[in-house]
Amino acid sequence: MEKHPSFEVLAPYLPKYPKAAGALFQTYNDLKLAQQWTDIEIIDLPECSRCGLRGRRPNTDDVLSVVPCVISESLSTDWIRTTFQELGSPPHLYLAINTEDSSIVYYKISPGIVKPPL
Amino acid sequence: MASDSDDCKIQLRVSNYKAYVWDVEDIATLRAKHHVCGVLTGTLPHLSQQNVFLGVPLVLLPEEVVLLLEKQLAVLIDDSNAHRPPSAEALYRWNAEREASASQQIAAAEAERASEKAAKLSTSDEAIRKRKEREAKRAAVARAKAIAEGLTVDEIPEIAVVPATDARSSTPSKLVAPTFNVTIPASSSELEWYAPEGRTHPTLDSARAAGVWTYPTTPFERAKCRVFRDLWEKGNFMGGGIKFGGDFLVYPGDPLRYHSHFVATVIESPTAPLMPMEVVAHGRLGTATKKSHLFCEWDEKTQEVTYFSVEWAGFG
Repeated sequence: MEKHPSFEVLAPYLPKYPKAAGALFQTYNDLKLAQQWTDIEIIDLPECSRCGLRGRRPNTDDVLSVVPCVISESLSTDWIRTTFQELGSPPHLYLAINTEDSSIVYYKISPGIVKPPL
Repeated sequence: MASDSDDCKIQLRVSNYKAYVWDVEDIATLRAKHHVCGVLTGTLPHLSQQNVFLGVPLVLLPEEVVLLLEKQLAVLIDDSNAHRPPSAEALYRWNAEREASASQQIAAAEAERASEKAAKLSTSDEAIRKRKEREAKRAAVARAKAIAEGLTVDEIPEIAVVPATDARSSTPSKLVAPTFNVTIPASSSELEWYAPEGRTHPTLDSARAAGVWTYPTTPFERAKCRVFRDLWEKGNFMGGGIKFGGDFLVYPGDPLRYHSHFVATVIESPTAPLMPMEVVAHGRLGTATKKSHLFCEWDEKTQEVTYFSVEWAGFG
């Protein structure tokens, strides 16, 4: 991991939350290199014991929030609520679910009852 | 026990912990006025070999029952015990009425069938007559021809006139007596010995004490009731969620007019474990079916429902 180009950017954050380190590393690389997001920042979310990410999808202006997690961990609606609070109440966030084979699936979570897109 | 105001409440007849609505007017009221749909579950007597179209009774979700009682829109009737044992005289009267009604229906049906037959016969009488004329003509022509060919009158073969068969027998005559359908009333309310008074429960507590209705018992069941109620108070119609992997389907209006926008999953408490796999499963199915999946959290402490909408991100 240390030899990876992304390590420099993530180095300050990975040791802080060791259990979330793998997911953060995987998600950061996916967003930056595979999804080609721009302006990626790392946000410390102490109440959630992990870091989140903010950035823009290619050719868009909206800043989106992403929270990595591992498929084997146990979450709760309380955790989701706290995550929204710590991110500064964005209109929605993307949960990046990381798996052991390095697949990531992203799910959009919005507070309240939000109608599906047409 | 049952006050006057209970009379205008909808009667939910409980049998084995399921609540049924047998009155068609009540079913209409539940849907139009209280946006509670339920599910029709009875066989239609005239279309019994299918189950796409069903009839009364309507069966309600337990959450629908709890809501209707809490809002004082309905009462629960211990249906089994509301049927008292009938006296011998009552049974005799009931039987006599049924027999009379059946004979009446059969007589009416027979009269109708006879008049239909008569209408058919008049044409077959005509047909018989015409046939006879034709036969006579043919015989006369044949005779004239034979004479012209020089046969003596004695040698003219008798043209066997095929006896005009009774046109009626060309339609197979039934040797068995014709069968008719007789309709019998299925509703118990007309029975002399059906007496719901004294077996009516206007509150959930009273029904629970009598052992007639016990839902909800567990924290999860309580959470489902409160989420259902919250969604109902927001004006939604709800249905069962099994077809889409959730607890409820949520429609913004009558299900006959709208497809549901949401599938709701009830989360028992703010700290109940929620696995990321559940987010994947519910979120992806919702998106694939053009719906949003709702995680509906019930908080017993604050007595509030909090909603989170989940959909697949569309990237990754």
